[in-house]
Amino acid sequence: MTLSMGPQHPSTHGVLQVVVEVSGEIVEKAEMEIGYLHTGIEKSAENLFWTQAGTVIERMDYLSPLGNAMCYVLAVEKLLGVSDRIPERAQSIRVLLCELTRVASHCVWLGTGGIDLGAISTFFYTFDLREDILDLIELSGGARMHPNYLRIGGLNGDIPEGFLGKLDALIEKYPKRMHELRALLQNNPILRDRMIDIGIVSPEDAIAWGLTGPSLRASGIAYDVRKAFPYSGYEKYEFDIPVRDDGDAYARFLVRLEEMDEAMRIVRQIRQELNTPGPIMIDDPKIAQPPKETIALSMEALIHHFKIVSESFRVPPGDVYQAIESPRGELGYYVVSTGNNRPYRVRTRPPSLYNLQTLKLLAPGNLIADLVVMIGSLDPVFGEVDR
Amino acid sequence: MPSSQTPSIAGTALDPTSLRPDISDAEIVRIAPAELRDKLIALRGDGFTMLLDIGGVDYLGREPRFDVVYHLLALPTKVATLAEVGTPRRIRLLVGVPENAPTLPSIQDLWPNANWAEREIYDLFGLTFEGHPDLRRIQMPYDWEGHPLRKDYPLRGPAREATPRPAFALKSNVPAGTPPSGKVAAALQKQIARARGQAPVPARGEDS
Repeated sequence: MTLSMGPQHPSTHGVLQVVVEVSGEIVEKAEMEIGYLHTGIEKSAENLFWTQAGTVIERMDYLSPLGNAMCYVLAVEKLLGVSDRIPERAQSIRVLLCELTRVASHCVWLGTGGIDLGAISTFFYTFDLREDILDLIELSGGARMHPNYLRIGGLNGDIPEGFLGKLDALIEKYPKRMHELRALLQNNPILRDRMIDIGIVSPEDAIAWGLTGPSLRASGIAYDVRKAFPYSGYEKYEFDIPVRDDGDAYARFLVRLEEMDEAMRIVRQIRQELNTPGPIMIDDPKIAQPPKETIALSMEALIHHFKIVSESFRVPPGDVYQAIESPRGELGYYVVSTGNNRPYRVRTRPPSLYNLQTLKLLAPGNLIADLVVMIGSLDPVFGEVDR
Repeated sequence: MPSSQTPSIAGTALDPTSLRPDISDAEIVRIAPAELRDKLIALRGDGFTMLLDIGGVDYLGREPRFDVVYHLLALPTKVATLAEVGTPRRIRLLVGVPENAPTLPSIQDLWPNANWAEREIYDLFGLTFEGHPDLRRIQMPYDWEGHPLRKDYPLRGPAREATPRPAFALKSNVPAGTPPSGKVAAALQKQIARARGQAPVPARGEDS
């Protein structure tokens, strides 16, 4: 018999259609239909200025928008040749926000993953924590989810007053909330029964199918872009990469839980740096908009401001591949410039797309009910799968 | 013909990959489509175990027109610690594909995850992959016409492009030298008068 799960199905975490061939309750074959959220972001980006493209690119992975922005600005900065001139404070704040979105993103995964298994209450605990993080993101850039706060060359502005106080409150609240969540979930017999030995990925398969991120590390391979190819100053911070060998859904669950703790560990280290003020934008009038108060006084500032706003800047021709560790795995941007004021091509390496594809390998021979657990444990985000 | 909605590429570099600044992001190799499979098999033997991504670029006006870009990463295939993974090597294969022979050998038998990546390039660029078991559209609907990421594909789609713009939206519709109608100036005068309290402010819904 052929069953169609989705595209409107709560356990598919978005709009995914899985066409399952079943015999009894056992899945024989699972084919996926994606593309329901295809919005042509890569095409749009080609038609926008370098400075504008970040706005649409942020909307790909809507659970970790700052990760997308981070990867894009790093790639463009490499092409411009200004990577080592980005102020340290800007880099720290970028990392801070990326790690906070990692926690927020894992919160959504934990909440919705809990609902998949019937644990409704976890959702409220995790979304409460996520709300605090979204408040911080709103303070930084003005919007809760897509702040467009990271700019080529630095940041849109310094963190406002009151940000650090809220951050301190979050740092204080986090361990208690996490303790509650762990007590609710980690040794819960239902959760363990549903997750242990479900969707096992061997290290060989994980590599062959291009699995990255927490899902790869749950299969025993400690590959993390933050450690292998440090960017934006990650080498300065002390943090561990959680790894498990079992490769099943429960291992992926534990790796993500531990990753949240490690992310907060980085956040606490950055918190210490934020007391000393400093510049947050590169000192280059061709890239950075001049400070607002100089525009009325200086002719050059006015011209630079007008140029950047009306026609952006030109990026030297070339191509570059930049990868970062998004909450889902290796997020990469292959950016091509022809020397124009718009990107010629922005190709994304979406971790969700490749992670989700692994379901073709995992599903056969398992129960339909376990299919739901597997999709949840791979943590796909469809804004990114479909782009 | 590039679409009117696509920004002009005149006066820009047509092969940016040959002009790239010195960025050490990966080793870069340019090969011909015929060598692709042999090269990939050799690289896999050399330790490049993971196919990270396959992407496409359309350099309209260049020969060969398309570039298909294979990103590989050398990771261990067994349980490995952080130190054992170290800094893995990256390599990028650029394969030029001409417009008159838009086809490449499929590599989905070497790396199963190439399946969706190749389908996406077929869907968005119109390049075919020989030996692919299931070459269907993946992002666009099955009955879609055209390949959106080609540079000659209009941003808002061919249907929108073919629809004539309404006459009032065309600047050329107003002959040069036409005197201003005076409507704008009159509306401005009215607004100023209202602001100074010399004219009544219309009630909500009333025509101003």
